[in-house]
Formats: sequence, C-alpha cells, structure tokens
Amino acid sequence: MTCKPFSVDLSQDESGLPHYQPPPCQVACPIGTDVASYVGLIWDGKMPEALEAITATNPLSGVCGYVCDAPCEPACRRASSDGAVAIRALKRHVLDKLGHDYRLAPVRPDKAKKVAIIGAGPAGLTAAQDIALAGYHVDLYEAHSKPGGMALWGIPDFRLPQDVVQDDIDRVLSRCPGIALHLDSPLGDKVKLDELRETHDAVLLAIGASGGKKLGVSGDDGAHVIDGVTFLNRINGGERPILPKKVVVIGGGDVAMDACRAALRLPGVEKVIVAYRRGPDEIPARAHELQAAKAEGVEILYNIAPVALEDKNGGVAIKCKKTALGAPGADGRRAFSLVEGSDFDLDCGLVIAAVGQKSVSLELAQHGLMDGDKIFTRASDMGTRLPNVFAAGDAAFGSSTLVQAMFQGHKAAYYVLAALEGVAHPAPYRTPYRTRNVPVAQDPLWEKLAPKHAPFLGLDNSDPFGPAEADYDDKTAHEQAARCYRCDTETGSSDYSVKARESIFALARPEAGPVDFAAATRAKLAKRPDPQLAGPATFDELVFLPANLTRLVIDPYREACKSATVLAGMKLAQPLLVAGFEDAPETIAAAVARTVAETGTAYLGRRPLPGLGAPWLQIIDGAEAADPYANAVLLRVREAAVLPEARPGQLRGLIATAATLEAALACALAEKADLVVLDGSGHLGDAWADLAGAPDLSLLPRAVDILRAAGQEEAFPLVWFGGLRSGSDLAKMLALGANAGVVDVASGLAAGGAIAPHGLDFAAADAEEAGPRLAAYLKAATSECSMMARCCGKTNVHNLEPEDLRTLSLRAQAALGIVMAGRKKIA
Amino acid sequence: MVTLDLAQIPVRDANEALRAAAARGEDIEIVNPDARHHLGVGLVAPVTVKIRGSAGYFCAGLSHGARFEIESNVGWGVGDSLYAGSVVVGGNASAIAGVALRGGEIVIKGNTGSRAGQVMKAGTLLCCGNASFLAGYMMYGGRIIILGDSGERVGEDMSGGAIYVGGKVQSFGADAKLGEMTPEEDADIRAFLNKYGIAFEGEFQKIVNAGTKLRYGVNEPIARPLPYTVAEGTYWNAKVAEDIHAKAMIGRYRIRGYGAAKTVPHFNDIALKIDPERIQAASDALASVNLKTKLGDRSGAKPLELSMPVLIAPMSYGALSKSTKIALARASKLAGVVENTGEGGMLPEQRAEAGQLIYQCLSGRLGWNIHDMLKADCLEIYISQGAKPGLGGQLMAKKVTKELAAVRGIPEGIDLRSPSRHPDIMGADDLVIKVEEFREATGYKKPISIKMGAGRVRDDIKIAYKDGFDFVQLDGMQGSTGAASTEVLENMGIPTLAAIQEALDGLKEIDAGDDMPIVFMGGVKDGVDAVKALALGASAVAMGTAALIAGGCISCMQCHVGNCVVGIATQDPEHEERYKIDVQAKAIARYLEAVRWQIATLTKALGYTDFRQLSRKDLVALTPEAAAITGLPYDPDYFPVEHLLTEVA
Repeated sequence: MTCKPFSVDLSQDESGLPHYQPPPCQVACPIGTDVASYVGLIWDGKMPEALEAITATNPLSGVCGYVCDAPCEPACRRASSDGAVAIRALKRHVLDKLGHDYRLAPVRPDKAKKVAIIGAGPAGLTAAQDIALAGYHVDLYEAHSKPGGMALWGIPDFRLPQDVVQDDIDRVLSRCPGIALHLDSPLGDKVKLDELRETHDAVLLAIGASGGKKLGVSGDDGAHVIDGVTFLNRINGGERPILPKKVVVIGGGDVAMDACRAALRLPGVEKVIVAYRRGPDEIPARAHELQAAKAEGVEILYNIAPVALEDKNGGVAIKCKKTALGAPGADGRRAFSLVEGSDFDLDCGLVIAAVGQKSVSLELAQHGLMDGDKIFTRASDMGTRLPNVFAAGDAAFGSSTLVQAMFQGHKAAYYVLAALEGVAHPAPYRTPYRTRNVPVAQDPLWEKLAPKHAPFLGLDNSDPFGPAEADYDDKTAHEQAARCYRCDTETGSSDYSVKARESIFALARPEAGPVDFAAATRAKLAKRPDPQLAGPATFDELVFLPANLTRLVIDPYREACKSATVLAGMKLAQPLLVAGFEDAPETIAAAVARTVAETGTAYLGRRPLPGLGAPWLQIIDGAEAADPYANAVLLRVREAAVLPEARPGQLRGLIATAATLEAALACALAEKADLVVLDGSGHLGDAWADLAGAPDLSLLPRAVDILRAAGQEEAFPLVWFGGLRSGSDLAKMLALGANAGVVDVASGLAAGGAIAPHGLDFAAADAEEAGPRLAAYLKAATSECSMMARCCGKTNVHNLEPEDLRTLSLRAQAALGIVMAGRKKIA
Repeated sequence: MVTLDLAQIPVRDANEALRAAAARGEDIEIVNPDARHHLGVGLVAPVTVKIRGSAGYFCAGLSHGARFEIESNVGWGVGDSLYAGSVVVGGNASAIAGVALRGGEIVIKGNTGSRAGQVMKAGTLLCCGNASFLAGYMMYGGRIIILGDSGERVGEDMSGGAIYVGGKVQSFGADAKLGEMTPEEDADIRAFLNKYGIAFEGEFQKIVNAGTKLRYGVNEPIARPLPYTVAEGTYWNAKVAEDIHAKAMIGRYRIRGYGAAKTVPHFNDIALKIDPERIQAASDALASVNLKTKLGDRSGAKPLELSMPVLIAPMSYGALSKSTKIALARASKLAGVVENTGEGGMLPEQRAEAGQLIYQCLSGRLGWNIHDMLKADCLEIYISQGAKPGLGGQLMAKKVTKELAAVRGIPEGIDLRSPSRHPDIMGADDLVIKVEEFREATGYKKPISIKMGAGRVRDDIKIAYKDGFDFVQLDGMQGSTGAASTEVLENMGIPTLAAIQEALDGLKEIDAGDDMPIVFMGGVKDGVDAVKALALGASAVAMGTAALIAGGCISCMQCHVGNCVVGIATQDPEHEERYKIDVQAKAIARYLEAVRWQIATLTKALGYTDFRQLSRKDLVALTPEAAAITGLPYDPDYFPVEHLLTEVA
C-alpha cells in the first residue's frame, strides 16, 4: 500500500514492470481503477484499504458504486465463462461497510498558486481533487445550490440516493482542505471569466451539458413535451408532479432509462413506453438499466422514429414511422431509414425527449469559447481558445458517462498542473495503471461460485423513490470477490508467466492482424536480462534423469521402493532425521519427541527432546560435554579435534562445515569415527541453523572426493544437513553420496512454526496437531524421495547415483561436479 | 477355407491374405505357423482362423469378431486388446495373456504365464491350468477364471472386475480381497465352461478389489498458486512454507497441473540473429516462404501432411473436456496441422473434426482399440512425457465421469493412476515387436511415432531410431500436464533446449542422418520459439499449453481439481458449459495463424525461402547456461544492427 493517492502522476504507471500486466478490467476503466486489488482486498475484508485503492483515482467512489456504467464488467475475462465479476456492486459494498461518515486523512495545500474550476460535477470534482492533492488551492464554483452536477441532478434517487453524492463530496472536501466550494455561483452571473483569469493562475471549465436537446420535429416545443434532463432535474429537486396516465420517453440512452423509471414512480402514471429508433442490439442503455426498467414494467418499443407531434384530446399524438437499419456508419452506429407507409400514431399525455444534452453558456459564447453546443477544447491538452483556460467533461466533449467525465477531469488536471509548474510540453496524458500487489484470494470455491447480482428491489409503491437495488451482505460480497481471476497477478509458473499468457491472448484476439503480430514478434525478440539470480547453486538447479527406453521405470504408484536406512548400526525407517526444536515450547518439543519415535527416525540436537524415546545424536563443541545417554555424540570441529571417549555402544561422530571439512575428515578417518555430518549451513548446533539460507552444496562432493582419494569411501556414513525442504532435495543428496539427511526448519514449519526474525515462532501452533503434522510431512518427504528413485528406475532410495543427476547451471555444475543437461562432459 | 503356409510366405503377406480372405467371408487355416508373431492381428471380420501349431507374440491381438483356434501354444500377449470374438488355445500361453482385453473370450487349455489379464477392461479370460504370478494385475473390469492354482499376488491393484480361482491361491495382491460369490455368478461361469466343453467340478474363490487404494485418502486443500516470483530471492520463502504446510496436512506428495514452474534455461535465453526492426507488418512472407512439411514416411507409410511445422501436443480427453478436444481438433483442421488424442482414447467428435489425428497408445491401454487405430492417421506409442517422465497418467476422480470411464473402459470415480510402463514393453526389443504388431494390424499404412519425456535423451533417441519409428515427439521438462506430482514436475527430466541438443547429438553419434524427424515440445509458446527450435534442428514443434491459453486458459494451474473455471480441464457439465467451442476453436485457429505468420516472417527476415534453411548459424546464446547447453556462441551483448552492418559490408 505505498501508492501515492494521486492518479495523474504518470510515473505511478506500473504497466511496464516485469511482472505487472494491467488486467482487462483496469484497461477498460477510463480512469484505470485498480479493480483487481480492491476486489482482492474486499475478499480479505480489508475495507479501508479497498477504499484507498478505489478513491486513489475515483473521488466519487460512493456514487460509482451505485451508478457507474462499469465498462470493466463486460471486459472481465470471467464474463465469457459464467459471468463477469460484479465489480460495481462490490465497490458499493466497500462504502456501505465503512459508513457514510468515513473520511480520509486530509492533505493540506502547500503551494501558493490558485486554480478556479467552474462546475462541481464529476469532471470538476475530479480535477479539483487532483489539483488540491498536488498542493494547490482550488476555488470550485457551482451554479446550483448543491454540488454534484449530473451525478446529483441527473440521476434519480431510486438509483442514487442524494446523500451518497453528498458523502462523496464531503469526503473530497475533508480530504482536500485546499478546495473552497462556492455554491449558487453560476458563470456569467456571480462569476465572471475575466475576473477569474485575473485572480487565478488557471481556469478549468467543467460546466457540464445540462440543456436537453429537442426532438427536432414539428411540435417538439409543445406543452406536453419536456426534455429528459430538465425532467430529471426537477424530480431530483424534489418535485413530485401528477402526470398523465400514459408517458412516452423517446430515446434509448441512460437518461431515457432514468426518465422512464422516474416517470413510472410518479403519481397518475399507469403506463410508460420507451420508443427507440434502432433495435435491441443497438440500444445504448446499459443492459443492467434496461433490465431494471423492463422488470419494473416499462415497455420498450424498438425501430420507431417520431416524425411530428400533434396535440390531441388534451394530450399529444406522436406521429411515428417504423425504421429500417442499414450498414454501420462512420461512428460505428448503424444508419436507419424511415419505412414509407409505416405511419402510425402513438398517443400519450406526456412526451419526454431524452435524445441528448447540450452545453449552454452565454458568458463563454461571448468570449468566443463555444463551438456549437460545446466548448471548443483541444483533446491534446484540454486547452480552449484562451491561454490557461481549460475545459473538461460533457461541456467540452459532449455528454458521456460519469467515469468518462472523471477521466477528463484527471486529464485536464494533468495539463493544468503542467501549466502551473511551467512545463511547456508535458508528455501526452495516459491513464496510469497501478497495482497494490494484493495476494490472490485463497478461496477453495473460487472456480465454482456463480455470479450473483446485488438484490434488485424494484419499484416499491410505498416509497417509490427509495433504492431499487440493495447492497450485498458480507458473505455474498466475500464470495463474489473470490470469483475474480486476478488477471493482474503473476502466475505460479515462470514459463507460462503473466506476460507469456497475455502475449498469447493478444495473438489470438479476433481483431489481431499483422501489425499486432509484428509488434508481438518484435517484443519477443527484444533483449532481456539473464534470469539467473545471484547466489550459490541450489537444489533447484539439479534435476534427475528419468528412466525411459534405456532403463526400465519402476511403477511408482505400486512397486515398493525401499527407504530403510542404517547409520553405523542405527536403524531408521527412512533416511531423514529431525533437528531443531530445542527452543520450541515444551508442548511442541514433547509432541515432536513422540513423532520422532513413532516414525522410526532420530533426533539431532544439543539436548534431547523431552521424553524422547528414539535415538538422540548429541551435538557438542568439546569432548567434555558428551552425555552418556546420547546414542551418538557429534563434535563440532573447530580446529584440531579429539573425539570423546565413548561409552560402549555409543557412536562417535563429527560435524564438518565448508571451513573445517579437510580437518574434520582427517580426524574422522584417524579416529575411526562412526559417522560424519556435513553441515552445508555452517551453523548446525545453533538454533534453527537452516535459517542461514541456501546451503553450500559443494560440501558433499568435496567430502566424497577426499574420501575417495583416501580410498575410504565406505569408512563411515555421511549425513547431510542444510536447506532440505522436500523429499526431492533429500533424494538429490542421496544421489550425491549422502546416506541420510536432516530436516530442521522444514520440520519446524511442518510442526506449525512460522518463520520469525530470530528463529521459528510457535505462538500460533497447535501442540495437538504438531506431532501428526510432522509425521505427515516426514511421510510425504519420504514418499517423494522414493518417487524420485523409482522414476530413475531404482527400487531403493540408496541406489540413487550421481549419474542420475544433471545440473541446470554452470555454477551448480562447478559446485557439484555434475554435468549440465544437454552436455556430454564438464567443459 | 483359405490355407496359408507360413513356410512359404512371410507374416506380413499372410496377414494381408488373411484380411483379404476374411473380407470375402472365408475361413482361414494357417499351417507351419512356427510360433511366428502377430498372427491375425487387426482382423475385424467374423471368420474362423485355425492355426495348426503354435503362435508367437500377440496372436489374435487387436482383432474384433473372429474366432481363433490355436492347436498348440501361444507366446505373450495372446488376444491383446481383443474387442470381441474368441481365442481358444490348445496348449499353454506365455505372459500377459489377454492383456488389455476389451471384450470377447480367451480360453487357454493349458497354463498361463505371469500377469494374465493385465489392464483388461471387459470380457472373459479362462485359464484351465495354473496361472503364474500377478494374474489380473491392474485389471479394470471383466473376469478371469483360473481352474488351477494362481501364483503370487493375484489381483494386484485391480480396480474392477473379478478373478475366480478353482485351485489354490498362493497370495493376494495389494488391494485385493476375497469377495462374495453369488449362485448366479457360479452358474454363469459353469455355463461358460460348458460352452467350451470344459469339465470342472470344484469350487471357486472370488477375488475382487478391496477398495483401499482407489482414491487418495486425503484431499489436498485447493490453493491457488503463489506467484512464482515469491520463490525468488529468499531461501525459506512463502512458497516453501506453503508447500511444507500442505504436505504436513496430507502426508503425501502434492499434485497440480502445468509443467515445471521454476526458471530453467529456455528459448528466451537464445536470440535470433535478426533485427527486430526488420519484422514488418506488411510482410508478404506467407506467400513467399515454404512452410509445408511431412512427417512419418520413413518406412513407407502415408505421412502426415502439415501446412507448417507445428502440431497440437498430445492432451487427453479426460484431462481436458470434450468441448476443448473438439475445439482443438477443429482449430487444427482450420490451420492444416495435426491433432493428437493423448491418453484417453479417441472421441468420435474429435475424429470427425480433426483433419489429421494421431492416436496415442499408453500403458493402461485406456480407450485403445483396433477400430480407432484404423481411423487414425498416425499411431503413437507413449513412453513418457516431459511433465512427469517415469510416471503414468493421473486423472483425479472428479474427472472420471461415467462417459469418460466408458470411453476408457474403466470404473467410474476412481483416482486413476495409469501404470508407469507398458505391460508388453520392458525394453527396446519389446518395443520393436510392439511397433511391428501395430504395423501388421494396420497394414503398414500408418506412420508410427514415439512420444518421450526428456531424460537420457542421447541414449533413448538411438533406441527410437533403431526401433524403426517414423518420427519422435520429444518433450522437455517444461511440458505441461493435467495432473502430476509437483516434485516430479520440478525435478524430473531435462529442459527442452537440452533435449534438442542431446537428441541431435545422439543421432549424430550413430550417423543417423536426418531420416527420423523429431518434433520438440515443452514450452513452445509462439512462432518465435518455434523458429528457434527449428533452427536448432527440430523438424517441427508441438504446442499444447499455448493452444489452451489461446483458447481461454488463464494459467491458474488448477487443472487437477476438475472445476476448471473456464471449462477446459474439467468433466463437470456446469463448468464445461462455460467453454464455447466455436468461439475458442476460432481463437486457437487465429493463434495458429499468428504462429504461421511469425515463422514465415522470421524465416524471410533471415533471408530464407524455406523453414528448413534455418540453422544454428541464425542463433546466439544470451546466457552462459544456454551457451553451455546448446554450444551456441555466447553473446549477451548481441546487438542486431551490428550484424546487419557486417551483412551489408
């Protein structure tokens, strides 16, 4: 969670990082919302963090939770499987959980320059937040008595309660004390552009498009006709007029949907019809809104165009023709033509014309800033015809969605800031993609959980303008969040990494052509760094050679592969001993002691585990420390070493490290030691010595070489200590010449420990479970070791040989003396 | 009645004459059989074949409907994969009598060797004398009747069917137990004996599966994989801890889908000596570069014809949903390449959709039969795969549905673990005879290939060459699978780059020339990787996972769970419904076209007109490891423009 809460900072774009791939939902979102992160955080129940992720780019987080047109959802990869992740509804859940009075820490202005923003709608508010968070003062002028613009005035309460808008704005204002909001300050009336240009360093025009367009047919200015925006503004202003029984809404956009559903809720109305000039596949309204309108009883008529309106019987007759659709035009929409002879009348008491909005400002027109019903605005830098006067939102580029308006707010803020900071040629604005690297939801049902819409409440006659949709309950939100594929996260495979996957997806896209193929090919040919990480060779750079044709495989599911081990007469069920646990809580140590005995293995440590009924190999630093009760004593060799006198039957051994190997082996041979422990960690005898990290694997081949040179290969068994994690690691050391291995940190983790700064922490471990869990781990590791042996065609793990191994790196080849895969000999 | 004298004609001619006579409805008599192998294999007509003497290996194998009467003894594998019909042996039968029996009746009047009825699925195998050890080893269904004594470990790891022993049972196999015998069963056996005129008065002991090993005891908790990068940098990282915690819960190795997840030397570590800027979008390479190739005519069979040197890697119906197999088949046809059945048998829909189809024969002989062999365009003997060489296939119970079990001929709902080795391939010499059986059964018309995971490739490839395979499919450790032990995935086998190098080295050592093509697979992701493999010496490449990803796979690596979120690696109808065959088939086909574009464009950009002109000279190694493995010059600072300059100069 280190993201700066400032979206226009392009350096925050992480889409080029080696392991980050902006997921389709984020790319589809005009403001680049970090959807995957906040969905992951919702699954994890981390609501404040989720809100941080949302609000970083979206000041209207609450509003969007209710009414965003959510272009992310159709882009969701799961949409083509069993249904998109319910991103919008999940967003709503965050603020519903946090509460309406949830506030973010304020970011105070620290710079002197001032910006005037006209219009406290989505575009203006977004820009105001960005500019204020950058440290500047903002005067935000709003023509109406309440801020919010179309979010407040254009969307009816049943879809978006007005207090949700107010909460968002209050949250922005409390977060950005540098914003001064001036209500009832319409441009040209109380506020003059020329004065603002004097008093402020930049002006941003975000006045919106709140004038409804007319139908453009005869009679469209009659008494029974109202435009959609005006209608919604009046309803949202609190009016509840009694309407005629039958209302016809003309248009097929979101305003039409809001208008028809609002009309349906007003007294007197019995029937609401929406007439749209194209077909059901072309209607621009969101499917979600269209469904809701239909569910509430609105009738949708397609392929109808009004050609004239006439007064009739105190109401109005809409003279209509049917339409026929042709080929798509330049704007991608299919052209339509009127079908001759298809005339009919649609009678009603009121026509609501929801056929588009326009921006109206006499003040701006007088300054020559208007271009028809929009402000002349350059998309390249959001500038207008006047220097340091910028424009954004519906007034600049025509009516659009809430989230598009916010995108324009961000973009305008970016260029305003560039102007404030004297950057003459800022890099072109692009939506920054960021990630909070949230872990994937570990939900066992993530593949199965079906999509669930937020509960649809519909039209309730006792409270017609009450919410039409409810929030998820916590469980549903958790489940719906679990459904996310998390396309943003790196995969579990280095080979099929997220970049590799996306590159294949890109090649398979329906619209992909030679230009894309060429780009993908060039990207693949580009230079890349050597992926090998620094450090010593590890077990991971060793592989086994399976039996195939030249050797017979052993059936690993069925045929026995022996793993019994004898160490200097000490019989063990498997070649795996246990160490560590000396500082573990008494209950854990006792449980481990029982498991060591029950699984037929032995324990290696300075002190015996409490009640240990299995062989104990004592680690000592000097002969005097030898305990007669130990089954074996293992002397840590420093310099010249003298093995202790053993009691009869007690085994004597040495612990050799990379630094002491030669001396230790010489001593072991001279004193006829019973066994030698090779300590690849260099710390055996200290608590959780394995935590030293990657062991020095070369110790084992070095030891074998020394003994072979002395003709003493069979003099004593070699026990490996260091870095063993799995049965495969063990099998590799057996193949290199060890007779057994010791698990230390791995056994601690198995018993329920967690890695802490100074050892293993058993605070969260269950003593009841510790024994069985360790036993299960030892069994698993032994079976893995056997499986490696069988795949190599061996029926006894001790028959593994160096020749069954290959190395995958030069450093492993050098350290282990094992030839690399693909090569005939070590060069 | 046609009489064939094996003293006069070779087996190949005899089998052809046999088929011709059978097609006319004539019965056949074979004289002087001299224990020749493969007598009557692949016969699919209801005629009678009398063998006057002894037959060798695989007598009556892969046949359907014929009645075989062998006067004397038979070698091993009598009635191999018999679908229906009968075989009566007057004397003794060697090992694996009735191996992979899929139906019909086999009667051995004398004794049988070891492993009688291994991996049989249905039908009746009667041994009138004694049966040696491991009778009914890994049988999935059907019945074995032994009138005499049975040897050690009878019914070892059987998962279905029943074994009736009239004599003494020396010992029970693992997971076998005595079962209840009903009077109806007893009557049915005696009716069967009467039908063949065999008198038996004794009582039977019935041996069935004890059900202790059919399923893994504990289910592994479902966990989405941590990003692979978690494992980098720190030794005791979160991935290691998670792995140990999981094993401490389940007490056994873990299982997942996909291939080796760790970073190993791979195609990205070698570079094409080509200036990326030369890759032009408006390339006309598709028209001017030859990508067509053939595979499989080394021994005169009808080769596979490929529009480019790319195949779909073998993946089973089972690991994958039927819908996915159909989409792959359709896409392969659209692209003019070859689809492969993988382990699970051939689906009729897959056969209908695929232009050319390779049919795989695996150790468990699941879904293996003569009819589908005849429908295939190529037969492939699977020895192992890159993801889990040394192990057989694994299919978790969730995916072993009724329909799937029927195609494979196995019981429903078991955690299916296929045998690791073929019942009748213990070594290179057995393999020769097996290949010969397949050639005899299909009239030498179909190419026969071998699929191997990469192990001791330098040696293994020589055996493949000497055993006469038409081509080899060789799979590096990055090759993916639907389910395998995580430890085997990461630690068993060598990388694809090393496999290519060793294979070519091995063939060079025996002066094999280039008459046995090798198809490489294991992490080939696009046309760029393909070109690198071809330049290193591959004859073609196969793509599996990449094709699945093109068709919607999101690389969550949960293939083994069976709930595949996109409907690929699942047999659950609700999940399979999520996979839109037509949409994904087109996506895969588009991806293959992009691969074609890349291979053609790169070949042209390197100045060639045929992909066969690509060579090692077109490559440099970017890492010391890749250089060491491939022997390519190590040039980490390789900069294509300099190369261009020297070229111009």
